Amino acid sequence: MKAGKPAGVLGRRSVLKAGAAIGALQVASPFIIQARGEMPVKIGLVDPLTGVYAAIARNEVVGAELAVAEINRNAGMLGRPVELLVEDSANDVGTGVQKTRKLIDRDEVNVIIGDVNSGIAQAMAGVTSEKKVLHIVSGGHTDTVTGTGCSWNVFRVCNTTTMDSNAVADLLIEKFGKKWYFLTPDYAYGHSVQAALVKRLTAAGGTYQGDLIPIGTIEYSAYLIKAKAFGPNVLIDVMGSGDQVNSLKQFVQFGLNKEMQVSGTLFELESLRAVPDEARVGWWTMEWWWDQPNVPGVKEFNAAIKQRTGAAATARNWFGYASVYTAALVANQEKTLDAVKLAHALSGFKLPPEVALQPAAPAYRAGDHELMSTVFVGEAHPPQGDPDNMFKVHSLVAGEKVASPVEETGCKLQWPA
Amino acid sequence: MSSLVILNVANGVVTGAFFVLMALGLSLILNLSGIINFAHGGFLALGGYIAFALSKYVGFLGALLLAPFLAAILGLAIEWTLIRRLYGRDPLYSLLLTFGLAFIFQDGTRYLWGAQGLPMAIPAFLAQPISDSLFFVTRYRLFNLAIVALIVALLFVLLRHTRFGIRIRAGTLDLETVAALGVNVRLLRSFNFGVGILLAGLGGVLAAGQFRLDPTMGDDYLMPSFIAIIVGGVGSLGGTVLGGLLIGIATGVTTVYLPSASEAVMYVMMAVVLLIRPRGLFGEEGMMS
Repeated sequence: MKAGKPAGVLGRRSVLKAGAAIGALQVASPFIIQARGEMPVKIGLVDPLTGVYAAIARNEVVGAELAVAEINRNAGMLGRPVELLVEDSANDVGTGVQKTRKLIDRDEVNVIIGDVNSGIAQAMAGVTSEKKVLHIVSGGHTDTVTGTGCSWNVFRVCNTTTMDSNAVADLLIEKFGKKWYFLTPDYAYGHSVQAALVKRLTAAGGTYQGDLIPIGTIEYSAYLIKAKAFGPNVLIDVMGSGDQVNSLKQFVQFGLNKEMQVSGTLFELESLRAVPDEARVGWWTMEWWWDQPNVPGVKEFNAAIKQRTGAAATARNWFGYASVYTAALVANQEKTLDAVKLAHALSGFKLPPEVALQPAAPAYRAGDHELMSTVFVGEAHPPQGDPDNMFKVHSLVAGEKVASPVEETGCKLQWPA
Repeated sequence: MSSLVILNVANGVVTGAFFVLMALGLSLILNLSGIINFAHGGFLALGGYIAFALSKYVGFLGALLLAPFLAAILGLAIEWTLIRRLYGRDPLYSLLLTFGLAFIFQDGTRYLWGAQGLPMAIPAFLAQPISDSLFFVTRYRLFNLAIVALIVALLFVLLRHTRFGIRIRAGTLDLETVAALGVNVRLLRSFNFGVGILLAGLGGVLAAGQFRLDPTMGDDYLMPSFIAIIVGGVGSLGGTVLGGLLIGIATGVTTVYLPSASEAVMYVMMAVVLLIRPRGLFGEEGMMS
């Protein structure tokens, strides 16, 4: 029997082999060494992935993920890979704020994106400005986000309610008349849209009536009976998401579409998909549209989204996409992740055509940090050819034309010392 | 204004009919098994989704017949594998389990059918108002009302005039004695649970034709249905029917005068009933009339 080494004692040969193996690994796997120096740039996205806004929130996430994949395929952000951390705000202000704090304090994200719900976005802005983190509001529309509640670090991709309202109001007055009835959700977004539309209508000498309706209402017959009694030219349906689906289905089932026009600001593609053909009616605004044959990059973006979701790209996909790119582009331009420097650089920053994906290249307005995006005004219809071809764009309205002047928004930016 | 109130009472009855279907199912399960089924809204949504999937092959009416039974079969599977283990335990256990199931249902439907709503279409002949003056009364609404009336009648026949129904009623009074008499209580509870889920599934199909069809649609009906049971009286199916209708009517009428209070009114109604008659309008503890 051969005398062996005592158990647990490493021999000289073993040590040499281990050393050689480690040396070989350093040569054979350069990515391991490289990865040590490439801490990812973290972007935190907070959106209501559950609850009534789940569909549009998830589409923002899809758009953001596509942008991250593209950025990582190219130069990354400051030469580093981008990591997207997604959190569910559950459509609750407290949860949204808590998740924002968690992303900033524990995960140490460099940028925050979100939320679909304006109230949550506004509350998140309180945290991001306190923590001095760049914050891009992807899809919360209420005016105050870039108005009276604006902040030096907050930039918004989607339109204000005033922009959407102004874009469609003149067309309705001119085409259908000045007597309107409102179905308005009883919260900040609805109030904001109605106020903007009423301002335009009364300035043109029009009259209106309407109801403030609790969110989550399923039965609209009482409101529609009152609307019919008023005899408006246009029923302005500002209800959102599932409430919009409920109200429009009943509007059509009652045959009111034969007596009056229906219109509003947003009838997003996600909602259009959720109603039967007969309820795909009315005049609306879209904040981005997938079918823009003459605009470079749109076809490719739409194909990339379709590959991920199986359906045409929506405005929400573009919001998520543009939000991530905004952060990456400005960071690469300024070669820093310092929020104050990035915010200064974003004031007046113009999105390049391959990210803007619309006829004009919009810029973040310096005075309130609102992206002056094109508004697509048009008419909903049942699918024609492509199952998502349910909207005919009648006019493109430049964001600057329909946004309130900065001095009227109430925004007073206060920069940190 | 008075005619407006009458019109809204009529529409309140239609809305209340959905609450009745939901509340009857909840009430059946609660009364016999002591399970507070928070997942009931999930079963309702599931009924709607199954009907949407089936309607491409068998049409809306075919789906209306099949989907509630498929939802009930899934309900039975869940009762056999999960719910059954909690019978006789503190109601908190079943409440927590079904609360979790409700989230699983929502995410499950999102996973299978997507987060966005789906366009459930109803037959063209039903999607018409009955006349120009009664434009808000569509044939579909009357159809819903007729279905709910038929189901309520069948349920009462089942509970009053069949052996199984009589055993269910007896079980709500004293399940131990019923078991001692040789009745298979396990089977009785399963059957009862299945009937409750069948009603939720049926409600889901009917609701999807009139309202939205998305993963959270069950939330719209769950709380009003619980309140209907409390207002009508726990243990009383007749009270549950009345409670559901009263909530629908109260909501409809409040909409005329004070829309912003149209949701709060049902809570006010519950508070008033609980103050004046804590057992509800027709409630007798442990009794099923």
